[in-house]
Amino acid sequence: MQPYQEEYLDNLRQFAALSQRGRPGELTCEQYAARLTQDRAQIVRLGKRNMELLRTGLFPMLDDLLDATEEERRDVEEFSFRLYDGRTELDVGLFCQIHQALLSLARQKRDRAAMIRELYWLGMGRNSLSSKLVGLDLSDIGEYVTRMRLCFTEAAAYLKYYDEIEDAETRGYILRSRANMSLGQFRSPSEKVHMVKKTLQILQDKGYQEKAPELPWDRFIYLTHQNMTSSIAHSREKVMTPEDMADIMESAYIVYQRRFEEAGQQNRQPPAKSAFGYHAIEYYCGFYDLDHFLSKLEGLLDAADPTDYSSDGIYSMISLPAFYSQYLEQYPERLPQRKEYLEDIYRRILDYVDGYTGKSGNGALFLYLRQLSFTFVETGGILYGDFLQRLLLRFAPEVYRHSQIVGEAAQVLCGLIMDDDPTFFDDIDFVRDAAGPEEKRRAVLDYAMGCGQFHDVGKISVIELYSRTPRQWFEEEYEMARLHALAGRILLEPRPSTSRYAPAALGHHTWYDGSRGYPAAYKRLEQPARQMVDVIGLMDWLETMMSSARMYSGTQKTFEEAVQAATALEGRRFSPLLTARLRDEGTAERIRRAFDQGRQDAYRRMYEDARKSAPADP
Amino acid sequence: MEEMDQAYVEEYKGHLVVQREGDGLRVLFADGGARDITGRSQERLLAEPPEQSVRGLSVEKLALDDSHELWVLDAQGCSLGHMKELSRVNAALEEALKAAEEANQAKSRFLSSMSHDIRTPMNAIVGMTAIGLSHIDEKARVQDCLSKIQTASTHLMSLVNDVLDMSRIDSGRMTLSEEAFSLPDLIHEVAVIVRPQAAQKRQTMQIEIGDIRHEDLLGDPLRLRQILVNIIGNAVKYTQEEGSIRISLGQRPAPDRGGGPAVWLDFSCQDNGIGMTQEFLSRIFLPFERVHSTTISKIEGTGLGMSIVKKLVDGMGGHIFVESKEGEGSCFRVELPLAVSPLDHKEPALPVGRSVLVVERRADRAGQIAAYLREGGLETIGLETGVDAVTRLTEAQYEGQMPCALLLGQELADMSALDVATHARQLAGPDFPILLVSEDDWAQIEYRAVRAGIDAFVPCPLFRSRLLGALSALTAGAAQAEKAMSGPDTDHSGNHVLLVEDNELNQEIAVELLEMTGVQVEVAGDGAQAVEMFRRSPEGWYDVIFMDIQMPVMNGYEATRQIRKLPRPDAGQVWIVAMTANAFMEDVRLSREAGMNEHISKPVDVDRLNEILRGQLKPKAPEG
Repeated sequence: MQPYQEEYLDNLRQFAALSQRGRPGELTCEQYAARLTQDRAQIVRLGKRNMELLRTGLFPMLDDLLDATEEERRDVEEFSFRLYDGRTELDVGLFCQIHQALLSLARQKRDRAAMIRELYWLGMGRNSLSSKLVGLDLSDIGEYVTRMRLCFTEAAAYLKYYDEIEDAETRGYILRSRANMSLGQFRSPSEKVHMVKKTLQILQDKGYQEKAPELPWDRFIYLTHQNMTSSIAHSREKVMTPEDMADIMESAYIVYQRRFEEAGQQNRQPPAKSAFGYHAIEYYCGFYDLDHFLSKLEGLLDAADPTDYSSDGIYSMISLPAFYSQYLEQYPERLPQRKEYLEDIYRRILDYVDGYTGKSGNGALFLYLRQLSFTFVETGGILYGDFLQRLLLRFAPEVYRHSQIVGEAAQVLCGLIMDDDPTFFDDIDFVRDAAGPEEKRRAVLDYAMGCGQFHDVGKISVIELYSRTPRQWFEEEYEMARLHALAGRILLEPRPSTSRYAPAALGHHTWYDGSRGYPAAYKRLEQPARQMVDVIGLMDWLETMMSSARMYSGTQKTFEEAVQAATALEGRRFSPLLTARLRDEGTAERIRRAFDQGRQDAYRRMYEDARKSAPADP
Repeated sequence: MEEMDQAYVEEYKGHLVVQREGDGLRVLFADGGARDITGRSQERLLAEPPEQSVRGLSVEKLALDDSHELWVLDAQGCSLGHMKELSRVNAALEEALKAAEEANQAKSRFLSSMSHDIRTPMNAIVGMTAIGLSHIDEKARVQDCLSKIQTASTHLMSLVNDVLDMSRIDSGRMTLSEEAFSLPDLIHEVAVIVRPQAAQKRQTMQIEIGDIRHEDLLGDPLRLRQILVNIIGNAVKYTQEEGSIRISLGQRPAPDRGGGPAVWLDFSCQDNGIGMTQEFLSRIFLPFERVHSTTISKIEGTGLGMSIVKKLVDGMGGHIFVESKEGEGSCFRVELPLAVSPLDHKEPALPVGRSVLVVERRADRAGQIAAYLREGGLETIGLETGVDAVTRLTEAQYEGQMPCALLLGQELADMSALDVATHARQLAGPDFPILLVSEDDWAQIEYRAVRAGIDAFVPCPLFRSRLLGALSALTAGAAQAEKAMSGPDTDHSGNHVLLVEDNELNQEIAVELLEMTGVQVEVAGDGAQAVEMFRRSPEGWYDVIFMDIQMPVMNGYEATRQIRKLPRPDAGQVWIVAMTANAFMEDVRLSREAGMNEHISKPVDVDRLNEILRGQLKPKAPEG
């Protein structure tokens, strides 16, 4: 590999280490905050260096790819597989950029084997990117799933010429692409079932097998059975043919029964994941009713070990409750009799998360918690808002820090506005209905803080982009990051304790004049809380401009520069009623102080949480 | 006979039972004789003072009790014929009076409702103006107010126009023109007007185009549009949310009009809305009548629309029929005789015998497309999913048997048509025609569609000429190219492109790709050279500049900034495209800030290059 490639990879490793929230140990709060600030500064430096490396090393090479030597091409391929090899994900976005370029080259050169290979790897990269978009429906992320699926589809289409293609590697790519066509979401489970069935027919065809005996056919077939049984368990389709049912059960038998038998032979319980998968498939196929299924699931939940932080342990403690919640969310009539049980499970989860002290496995813990955050059922016991706050504080500290600062700055601006115009927020019903001026003021300030705290909560759906991208985003990544506004609404709106904050999550990136911004789903003039959303939008923008997170999409600014830029966008990006206040030096100074204070408060809470949840480093 | 009649008359009597009420009298009962002799209806006899009814007649009054009398009317002095004539005339007069009174009442109702209808949008205009003024600093709020004012003004204008139209028709001042028009154009204009209205109420609107042999016709397109918009607009108005409206259009031969061929244009519009009572149905074409409904709370309009429609249809020599059932919906049918334009029947040039890959989930539309393609001498490969389409294209490309075009329906069974187009474009290359058949408004989706690689848009409702015309425009060049074995599909030989690129191999490739489109390519080896070449060129010489970023001497950003600063009108207008693998958001921003219009990544994607050229190059006369 080229030196710049080695350096980039080394920087990725450093970046990953710095991104783990360090433990305070014997540090004071101030020292801890200083260390986190230093770490952030180092992250920014690494990011800038990475961009420099790509600009001077990789991009000129991709510019002149046709002109590149064989060795240079091999190096860039090797580099790409160090970024992502199908399992380890260091920088999948860059991996996709490289393979998109290699695919273009293969198309230009009409090199069939290279085209098939590049389509497969580009599909893999895109699958990795789209599968990170947690909690979003196909209607929101369809384009990413389609981009992935059509790469595999094109590669798989060469199956027709299987006999003409003599090298086993290319044949393997074709077959794997065929199998991978059924990755990701589908419009209906039956669409997926039929696609997997077709793949199984191909993989089990002796004609194909005999021509490439060196390929791992058993593994291909087993993984395809596994694919058949995954992602359909939680939805029960109304119309399913007996043939479909037989096929799914056959796959379930192959995937799970084998594990049950193995566990039985070793005199131990089968893994929870397999047990749940099998019960879910049985329920899906209509072998028993929901109550019976839920009681089986409760059996698995009761058996979960709250001290087990292995992959299966985390699955049992967090992922199973997420599924359990999802069923209760879909069938709320089943909830009243299970309310206390559910609350008890949630309490156990929070204790379990607090009790976690290791570093490895943090990712798996958060992945399953994210899943739970989308299915959480609010019963009145544990408030969803508190759950989300703990999630951000623990696993997305940068989002937590930013949100706290925005909340506190928004409170200050709202307080100043209320001093001048107590009716400013009266379009919001609970503000208008407040009993007296003091109550009204309190209602507005509380609302401002809540909107600030939750406006970016949707980032947990796309957290990899924010916490693991060691450079600026590419255009496609930027488009994906924009989904956080929709994801925020999806999280907040359905739950009573957070529904009022949903407009802030949805609307804080739209433009005041409606000409730009996202998402289109936010209609400013139809939104009674628009004045508050405007406040949050402005504070979010100012904080982001000053933050190191700005690395992902532009250049960091000072407070004064950010204010100047915001007022330049008056009437277009921001409400003139708000930017006019920024012109007042006293107001601007108070907001600047609020940003500083917010930062300190956020670090203090992060420090306290870090001390509470993690013993000192040895 | 006359004697018998006379005898009959002499014996003929009539009877009224009259009640005294205070100082006045009131008829409680009148028999048939009284009606005949007085020549008044029962209702009228009961309504008017009895002295008035019997004025001039011989009356015998018999007291029945203190307050009641029986009045016996004698028919003597009246011949039966005279009496019957009198009775008929009176009845006719009474009918006329009743009609006049009803018309008068309708006009009064109209005036009252018009003043309400005019006042409502006027109130909105006045109110929204006040709100706008009070929030003058809030641009978005003011915009919202202005848009509401615009809506109210448009509505107000339509009210006034209807009243004026009616007045013109009534006074015989309305004349119908006879000019050539395109039926597809007209139907699309109608669809553009009515579809958003239906969409707002989440109604399903299906427009079926039947057997249309002649698309260029002679008639009054303005008035024809008015007829169709009025009928469909009513269907939307009187159909509940999420209801359905089905419109169909067909043709059948009609006798020649003035020597040329003619057709009957058959139009029908069926809805499942509130429908009409039989009683209202008899009055539907009368002016100022509107259905009143409790289920549709706010129905706007003058009540003149259907009356105008009827008069226009009559004026065109056509017929209009209505069937309706209250609570179930209505169906309007219109038949109009129209002459065929002599301009009709232009057959587009098509690659006859080739196949078109059609991906459409809706079976009815797929069938219609296949039928039109068959008529154009093309074969159809029909598929329903994007996955199948990409598989088929890959196989076809591998076997060297590509279809002559890909026709994507609006909604595929498994994924979005535009996402399929993006992949198909990369797979099949820049010259492969990809068309989108859609009910969407092209203006709304054009940006995304062109970026996805769509070459042409075929609007729905689908007409044969539109489909085959679009295919012809995209495939004729290819067909000619096939014949000549070489040559570009679009002639841009009068256009000039400046390629700024330091790498020789890249220069070579880009020049080759660009020259395939016929443009004249000039090459600059670095930014400084590019600025100099632009400075020396005649004004408007370069249509597009493709600018590399990393170059010796002067980079692409600086070169762009310097070109933009040059004191000549085209310096600010020339389209500059950054051509680089630097794909960070900041790079995109930097290129924009430097004055570049767009950004393409390297290695250069041929489709993207062509897409830019297609968008930017206007045909110019070739030189020399």
